[in-house]
Amino acid sequence: MRTRTNWPAMIFLIVGALFILFPIYMAIAVAVKSPQELAQSVLGFPSHIHWDNFRQAMSITHYWHTFGNSLLITFFAVVLTVLSNSMVAYAIARNMHTPLFKGIYYYFFAAMFVPFPILMLPLVHQMSSIGLANRVGLIILYIVYGISFNVFVYIGYLKSIPLELEEAALVDGASRWRIFWQIVFPLLGPMNATVAILTGLWAWNDFMLPLVMLSDPNQYTLPLVQYAFQSQYSTNYDLAFASYLLALLPMIIVYLLFQRWIVSNVTKGAIK
Amino acid sequence: MRLLKSVRRSWPYLLMTIPALVLFFYFHTWPALHGIFLSFTNWNGFGPYHFIGLKNYVDLFHDHQVLHAYGFTFLFAFVTTVLVNVVSLLIALALNARIKLPNTFKAIFFLPYVLSTLIVSFIFNYLFSNVIPDVATQLHLTALSQNLLGTRWAWVGIVIVSVWQGAAFNTLLYLAGLQTIPDDVYEASSIDGASPWMTFWRITLPLIAPFLTINMVLAAKNYLQVFDQVVGMTNGGPGTATQSVSFVIYTNGLGGGELSYQSANAVVFLIVLVIVALAQVRLMQGREVQL
Amino acid sequence: MKKLSLAAGSALVLAAAVTGCGSSGTSNTSNTGGSTGTVSLNFLQNKPEVVDQWNQLIKAFEKQNPNIKIKQINPPNTDTTLQSDLAKGQMPDIVAMGADATFIQMAKNGVFKDLSNAPELDKVSPVYLKMLEQEVGKDTPYALPYTVNAVPIIYNVDLFNKYHLKVPKTWDELMNEAKQIQAAGGTPFYNGFKDAWTLAPIWNALAANTEGSSFIQDLKAGKTTFAKSDLTAAKSMQEFVKYGQSNQFGVDYNDANVGFAKGKSVFYAQGIWTLPVIRQANPNIKLSTFVVPATNDPSKLKMVSGVDSLLTVTNSGNTAKEQAAMKFIDFLLEKKNAAQYANAAGLFSTVNGVKNSDEALKPLQPYIDQGKVVDFDDHYYPPAMAAGNQYESVLQGALSKKQSVQQLLQQLDSLYQQSASHQ
Repeated sequence: MRTRTNWPAMIFLIVGALFILFPIYMAIAVAVKSPQELAQSVLGFPSHIHWDNFRQAMSITHYWHTFGNSLLITFFAVVLTVLSNSMVAYAIARNMHTPLFKGIYYYFFAAMFVPFPILMLPLVHQMSSIGLANRVGLIILYIVYGISFNVFVYIGYLKSIPLELEEAALVDGASRWRIFWQIVFPLLGPMNATVAILTGLWAWNDFMLPLVMLSDPNQYTLPLVQYAFQSQYSTNYDLAFASYLLALLPMIIVYLLFQRWIVSNVTKGAIK
Repeated sequence: MRLLKSVRRSWPYLLMTIPALVLFFYFHTWPALHGIFLSFTNWNGFGPYHFIGLKNYVDLFHDHQVLHAYGFTFLFAFVTTVLVNVVSLLIALALNARIKLPNTFKAIFFLPYVLSTLIVSFIFNYLFSNVIPDVATQLHLTALSQNLLGTRWAWVGIVIVSVWQGAAFNTLLYLAGLQTIPDDVYEASSIDGASPWMTFWRITLPLIAPFLTINMVLAAKNYLQVFDQVVGMTNGGPGTATQSVSFVIYTNGLGGGELSYQSANAVVFLIVLVIVALAQVRLMQGREVQL
Repeated sequence: MKKLSLAAGSALVLAAAVTGCGSSGTSNTSNTGGSTGTVSLNFLQNKPEVVDQWNQLIKAFEKQNPNIKIKQINPPNTDTTLQSDLAKGQMPDIVAMGADATFIQMAKNGVFKDLSNAPELDKVSPVYLKMLEQEVGKDTPYALPYTVNAVPIIYNVDLFNKYHLKVPKTWDELMNEAKQIQAAGGTPFYNGFKDAWTLAPIWNALAANTEGSSFIQDLKAGKTTFAKSDLTAAKSMQEFVKYGQSNQFGVDYNDANVGFAKGKSVFYAQGIWTLPVIRQANPNIKLSTFVVPATNDPSKLKMVSGVDSLLTVTNSGNTAKEQAAMKFIDFLLEKKNAAQYANAAGLFSTVNGVKNSDEALKPLQPYIDQGKVVDFDDHYYPPAMAAGNQYESVLQGALSKKQSVQQLLQQLDSLYQQSASHQ
């Protein structure tokens, strides 16, 4: 009885999985075909892999350069977000009894409901007037805009960390800074992972912020370059899809390698 | 003296928080306030401008394009939020059942979440525009031989792509919720002779209600700001059928020289979003108590 | 702790490095690359059909001028891109675009260089130079016309003969031929109306020929409305979509070009800029054109023709950049290059003495030579109405929903009212 498989559930999951995988299969099937083969059949299994699509797509989009932009932005956004946002959350969490910090907490929390379009138009002017309508500006925005949600998530977790450890360290004469970096920050491990994953996915896949902030094609990220170059692919769908796959691939590889870790940490963050 | 002591005690905390607070204000709140300010002017992005009071706001309520954008956005967000949550709850229930290869399935169902929404939308655009009509024509299914995105059902296409991608995250949340329910609760219920259906309504759903609330609020907030999917699939068409509020603010505000007018639109959008969020929290909390 | 501060430290150093190379890409000074005196220019052009042709010209130019590097930008939405570039103070250095609302608005606001004293003015057609000045509404040239387009009906010669058709002289004749084709099981027109802007060419041809020449002035003066003056055009438009393929609102521009090239329809109501793309998709296709017979009075018929690409230089305050940009423009105006581009792009050149040798364009040449041309209507619509495909979306929406002509025109009027009041 305990080990019997629930077949209705299995069938439902198999159908669902096919639904998820079908567009991805189609994307691969289109990307690896020559234009002639694509004209005959879109969904058919390719007879051989037409690598030339990938080579051409890479040269059109300056793939490695664009990939480098995405990587730099994502890397700094993730590292600096984890370091800074955890600290802010810690300071707030330990002072929630004071009106000042409680006020700060609600300020950040309320900002979560402010839609980006309201800032968008003035932000473009503001960022360019201080010379930050570029990759660096983007990194800053990811770190700053992340605060709202991340502080909220961190604080939930911080509440569960016992104060005794910190108090003992305080008696030993450690400063608040040392206490945070040496004791609390390491204890935040699972939450740091959650925040890092979510920030990484956001910065890597984001389209709207790069779209409004970046003007110089040298600074384009992978999603933005797909948008900006769509007209150049025209009806060369094989080429376009090779390019899409190349843009999706880094994240898929990371996901396949760390799949269990990513899935379990995202959940941890969500349920605190 | 006591004050001094408390200041000294909280000094490091303040140092940890103030820089973030200043940056947040400068990069988030200040442009938002600036946007509110601009909404009372007639500035179009360059050149001189003057105050025109509430004119932009009055005009908004006569603007078919804007009103329609709110209509589409709400319809889309409502349908998508409900569907995403129903679908992901079903998947989570199935994943929580006794199945083979649970981790493989989990990995597959979460995969869409790591992909770029814009690129996924491009892929679905091709599916709707080229693949489905071709296949349908070959099979003589006239109903499907039209590109869905070129008809008045274009919004359904955007719902489909959003559910395809959006169900991933919520599935994980629900699954985590389901796994907090201990097995003996179910056992007790089955000993009492309750059907699986009753078990779900009476036990499972109430226990995961908090997850339901947060999922609904987050999903609604995201889908009300839909943008990438629209750009990737329909560019707002046919006509203005799938222009979302964010899309209108972006295209008309930046491209159409309506910067101040669309700022007013954004202010209204903010108010609407806050009302929706508050209403949702109220409504859902009320339900939880009842259950 | 040590590890952590090390990580943070290296992060800062790397961040500084990003800032460094970030600023080099956007700064106004010509400090990219190692060699001194190299000028990098961003060149925005709005035609996806000719990306390759521009790259060839750029390559040839860079070979002659090793100190100038040009980067082509071809954004999917020129209006939003230019407006946000302007807001950021990161305008491209050279722009090649149509004489549309965004250009006009920017030229009026002094974004582009005043070319009054430029010797290049003598090299191009004075007629189209005048047209540009009229559009901007000032007697100052802010741009040079480079190529002009035209909106005809393009047809597939083999299919045309198969149905035993002859070139229609009036709108009714064209519609009758369409009916005849449809009755024989063929498709008269293949339309790419999923992209809203593709409704613009045929709309402009119909409107400009039927609404009266003073329509725009009267509209601005409040003496007329779309509902009063464009009733004929809207009715013709409604009739026209009856003869498109059934999936016409679900096919985009690119797929429509390919579809027509593959023989899916006899006629194609698009600008002449599609000719090279159609031939690329099917090199064997035999093409010809005739002017859209927008009225039932052939003697009054005019061909819609506007500046397809103008060349303009941004006021950057950086003399080195502006000089380099003018150098590129001089290169483009050389007869050999102008002819190469116009032929490749399927357009008429405005450079004096350059003719397009394309057989398919022969039937249109007399209209250009005799000046029987009229500018695009939408170049004079208010910016908020024309930019971002606004009015085309109205046409697309009303026609795909099969609304009445009155509903269609009413929506155009209310869009006009709104756009005019938010200028």
